Amino acid sequence: MARRNALIVGAGDPADPIADGLAARGWTVQRLTDDDTPITDTAVADGFPDRDGFDLVVHARYPAASRRRTALAELTVDQWRAMADEPLESAIRLARNVHGDLAASSGTMIFLVPLMASAGGDGFAPMATAAEGIRILAKSLAKTWGHDGIRAHAITLDPSAFLAAADAAGMAEANSLHDPPLGRVPDLAGEVARIVDALAGDDFAALVGASLVVDGGLWMPG
Amino acid sequence: MSEHDMNDVPTPPLPPVDGLLTGRVAIVTGAGQGVGEGIAASMARAGATVLLAARRADTGEPAAERIRAAGGAAEFVRCDVTVPADVEAAVAAAVERHGRLDTMVHNAVSPPGVPRPIQDVDDETIALQIATSTTAAFLCARAAFPHLRTDHGSLILLTSPAGIEGSGNLPLYGAVKGAQRGLLKSLALEWGPAGVRVNAIAPVAWTPAMDVATAANPTLEARLRARTPLQRIGDPTDDIGPVAVFLASPLSRHMTGQTLAVDGGRYLGL
Repeated sequence: MARRNALIVGAGDPADPIADGLAARGWTVQRLTDDDTPITDTAVADGFPDRDGFDLVVHARYPAASRRRTALAELTVDQWRAMADEPLESAIRLARNVHGDLAASSGTMIFLVPLMASAGGDGFAPMATAAEGIRILAKSLAKTWGHDGIRAHAITLDPSAFLAAADAAGMAEANSLHDPPLGRVPDLAGEVARIVDALAGDDFAALVGASLVVDGGLWMPG
Repeated sequence: MSEHDMNDVPTPPLPPVDGLLTGRVAIVTGAGQGVGEGIAASMARAGATVLLAARRADTGEPAAERIRAAGGAAEFVRCDVTVPADVEAAVAAAVERHGRLDTMVHNAVSPPGVPRPIQDVDDETIALQIATSTTAAFLCARAAFPHLRTDHGSLILLTSPAGIEGSGNLPLYGAVKGAQRGLLKSLALEWGPAGVRVNAIAPVAWTPAMDVATAANPTLEARLRARTPLQRIGDPTDDIGPVAVFLASPLSRHMTGQTLAVDGGRYLGL
């Protein structure tokens, strides 16, 4: 693959270090970082009118409101929509935006999701709702878009990639009785970006619709 | 048994479930037809008083009448699950009329539309699928929780195998049904200490939507059967309903955060 144009969607962690890591690996990286404005069906065309197409799109967009611990019973419906429905719908809209670019380049779309998507999160029901919808969206896209030459995957990351340190530590404690077998949580800019890079490359051209867990071994679903 | 259930695979008769839910009160959304009506009928058969929450009286009231005619306790309550006041009123009706709410079953979902890739799905379908699947699940959970906590009850969500494995035909439907599983696992963690259980059923069953799909695609039924070990598509009342009865009853008192695929064995990925 000669051209390597990547679009990274999302602000803060984990989007920032992933963008840095991909840039260090030779990708030309562009960003959509306004997590507080819903993604429209023309967001990419409007934001990058002169783009030369994207070969890789990475979604890591979770608004700040979603990353806050809240008991479900205390949420208003507007809060729920902002914390759960809007991030899910924006991910769907992003996919609609980039289908043409990725079909033209036989590209790859990767969704980064927090552990609570598949493991649940006490106090993070809205974010888990959006994130698990997004994780399954990746599988649906892989099935639908495979005929267009597009591959889609999801990568589950440790909660520390998305949450404040205290919340992330509590969640890791709740989900496992042991420390990560790896001895640490993988580094985003180095190790995780390397996996994203590899998934977008020819070596993994036969991998379709993967749902990988890259958390150092804390969560090993059946 | 419906006419759809005829096949060569032996299907044992259902054992009696009388009394499993006696004295309990349940709300079932989307109960005017299909899986919702089947669950309501099965829960009523097990002794529960069931409020059939449906948007349309012309489906909800006859469904309630069919259950009453069979000897069950059932009432229709008009409820658009995307309207907070409607959901709260349905819960209030259960508590005011019967003094408690033990089980909230959120089954209602807007039609997913015809198979098409995500980039071709219209805006109205996106809005309705999210509103009926995630917003409504939130509204049902929030409204029911104070009463479920009092009565150590349970929330049951109707998801789909598509919400686990994704869907190439209905990618949006797969996403919103997956979203419900993120919600149920989180609420299982959040509400477990209060004694409230949260589980899901992922059914494949004969419903009006399935009738439409098979009518539009004459080979669909045969292909589904061929991919189903038990070689038939589930009946809402006799195959899906008893699993909801189990999840609503103390028989499942040590289960929470789980999704039960009730699909004749078609999905084996759990």
